[in-house]
Order: sequence, then structure tokens, then C-alpha cells
Amino acid sequence: MASFVRFWGTRGSIPTPGHRTRVYGGNTSCVEVRVDDTLFVCDGGTGMRELGDSLLRRSNGPLQAHLLFSHTHWDHIQGFPFFLPAYKPSTTLHIYDVERDDDRIHRLLLGQMRSEYFPVTFSDLGSKIVSSDLHGGNKVIEGVTVSAFEQRHPGRSFAFSLAKAGRKIVYATDSELDLMVVNADEAERDPRAQRRLPEEAIRFMRDADLLVADGQYNDDDYRKGWGHARANTVVDMAMQAGAKQLAIFHHDPTQSDADVERKVQVARDRARAAGSNLVIFAAREGLELKVD
Amino acid sequence: MSTDRSKPFDGSTLPLDVTRADQPAVLPSLQPNSRPHRLEQIGGPGAPRDFPLEFDEIVVGRSLQAHIAVESGSISRRHMCLRRDGPEYTFADLDSANGVFLNGVKAHAAVLREGDQLQLGDVVFRYHEGQ
Repeated sequence: MASFVRFWGTRGSIPTPGHRTRVYGGNTSCVEVRVDDTLFVCDGGTGMRELGDSLLRRSNGPLQAHLLFSHTHWDHIQGFPFFLPAYKPSTTLHIYDVERDDDRIHRLLLGQMRSEYFPVTFSDLGSKIVSSDLHGGNKVIEGVTVSAFEQRHPGRSFAFSLAKAGRKIVYATDSELDLMVVNADEAERDPRAQRRLPEEAIRFMRDADLLVADGQYNDDDYRKGWGHARANTVVDMAMQAGAKQLAIFHHDPTQSDADVERKVQVARDRARAAGSNLVIFAAREGLELKVD
Repeated sequence: MSTDRSKPFDGSTLPLDVTRADQPAVLPSLQPNSRPHRLEQIGGPGAPRDFPLEFDEIVVGRSLQAHIAVESGSISRRHMCLRRDGPEYTFADLDSANGVFLNGVKAHAAVLREGDQLQLGDVVFRYHEGQ
């Protein structure tokens, strides 16, 4: 058996449909991860609508999915009310907060379906919705070890690691890595210098077969304090962690397809200059990877 | 031919009247003046040549039964399948031995866009969108 990762939404902040974003896509964050027969959905941005349609086409029987939300900003939850499997009585959705005494995810998914915002209320969804938690950051779900790591982002966000049988996939979006750089002064003086990330962050990402990570900005359009990383900083983190593949994710809404390709080329050049054979690419809507 | 989307996408529902690489394709459903999507083979045995994509499902491989058959020992008998979904084609690796590389990255499946490069062993295609 193998794991599969499919990108349904790769854009950050706000949907950006149109010809300028046709290749990498305009839907906001949503990634399907299938570990053997277990389905995880990382974030519920606008890409979640098409994921739901696809699941209904593919599935003949009852559907069970484990939903992991990095946080509750709009671009990570807005697709949930349009996720059609949630309306089917045969569907079971497990929704996880990280900590036991936190109900923020459940509360805000419910809140965005109040009648002021949406015509159907959360309580009218036909599916079975089970709210649970990750025991503070580690839980085994159907044989998959799911871990969480708190990131630097306004209002909090979490990265998730899904590991089974030696395979490891890390989903780490909405993280301002640049505020965590240990050698910040050196990195500021010399942009070519390796940006060293804290050991606890590196440990969480260590040896990932696939790292999906927020690399919204180029070095020269970085907006400090907005909660997102420069792609070059993500490259340095991936190299330090020994990741095999890096999918640069959460593209800035101002970036056209050509802009995304330039961003990735710069990231590849940085890795090559460091002597790394890290595989780097831009997360792209409709792209599916097999992780084995 | 119609496509049953309730079944997995494995290329197993192909019609028997397959089109060989060296034969002109039969056009089942093209509108007058339309230009089909196509694969341009830019590397490997037989290149350069063009393959118009005129079926809803198309298998690429070494097998003579493949719609697009390429005589290369580096590709599997049924290596990759292309499936039309509305105005777009999606490719999927059919569990091939050497995989499919989309623009240099090993991928299992993807919606194709103009200019995408697909590498199967030593065989390289460029995808072009029609009208």
C-alpha cells in the first residue's frame, strides 16, 4: 500500500480564479491525504468543494474522513459549507482540535454557517460529525500517527505530520518561519547564508518524504508580521530537516503562474547552491503524488 | 465512448478499436473547425511526432494495444492513461515501473496544462491544449 497526496487548493489568503492562475490554481488551501485506506483532509479552503464532488464520484459506500484544520482563518475553512459529503447521512466526519479543552475548530465551523453567513446551519448537515482532539499533539488514527506542531502565525496555527510504516508526510502551512530564524542577524546581512531554524521545528519535519509548506513570499516581497514564510527560508528548513521533497504551498494571491514558477526556480537554485538534491516544486491544483 | 465515473480510473474501460501511433485516428466527436488537444513527442524512439487526443481515455505504453504505442524498453506496456474530463485531460500513472515525471517531478496524476512536459523513461511528450 502507499500514500497519496492530492492538491485541491494551493492559494493563500483569498481565491484567485482567472487565466493568470490557471496552472497552479486559484482555490484556497485544501489537501487530500490518503494513507492506505484512511482519508485525511488538511484544511477546508475553497478547494474543499471540488474534493467533496470528487469523493462522491469515487465512493460507492459510506465515507469516513478525518479533517485536520491548521487554523480557522477564512482561507482554511471557507470550503466546508460546500463540501457535499457533509450533507449525506452515510458520511462520518471526524473534526480534530489539537488540545482537549479547545473547541475552536468546531465552534468556528459552526459559526460560519450561522444564517447571517450561510443558508444552511451546521446542525442541519446530514452527516455524522464527531468532534475530537489530538491529545495535545499526538494521536494514532487507524494506524497513522498524527502529530501537531504549533507554528508562528497570528491567531495560532498548527502543522501536522502523518506517519505510518516509515512514510512521513508533513503539512505545514501558515507559518512565518522568518520570525523563527536562529541566526537572524547573519541572515539579514547575507541573504545567501543558511537560515537556521529552531531544533524543535527541524525535529518535527525530520526526514519527511513529502513536506508541504507555506512559501508564500519571495525574499523581496516578504511582508513581515503577516504570518507567512519566504520560499527561500522554507528551502533552508527542508534541507536542515533532510526532507526528500518540498511542495511550496500557499501561493500569494498576487502571484501569477509565471511568478510562481520564478519563485520555485529561485528556490531550486538556492538548494543546488547548497549542494542539496532536495526535490522542489510548486504545489499545483489537480496534482497527485504517490508517496512510497 | 462514454466514461463511467463510478469506476476507478485505470484505463481498463478502453474500446477495442484502439488507434495505433502509426495510424490516423478516427475522429469520434470533434466539432467542425475544432483543434484537438495533442501530445507532441519530443524525445525517445519515433520523435518528433504529434498525437491528437481524440478519445475520452487514451493509454500510452509499449504495448501494441496502446492508443499511443512507443517502442521503448524504458516504458511499461501500459504506462500512462489520459482521461478527458470536460475540456481538460488528466494523466494518471498506471503503476508503471519507471513512473511519470511532470515537468521533472515524479507525479501520480495531474490535470494537464499547455506546455506541460511528461517524461516516461526515455520518451518525452509536450502537452498542447486545443480549442
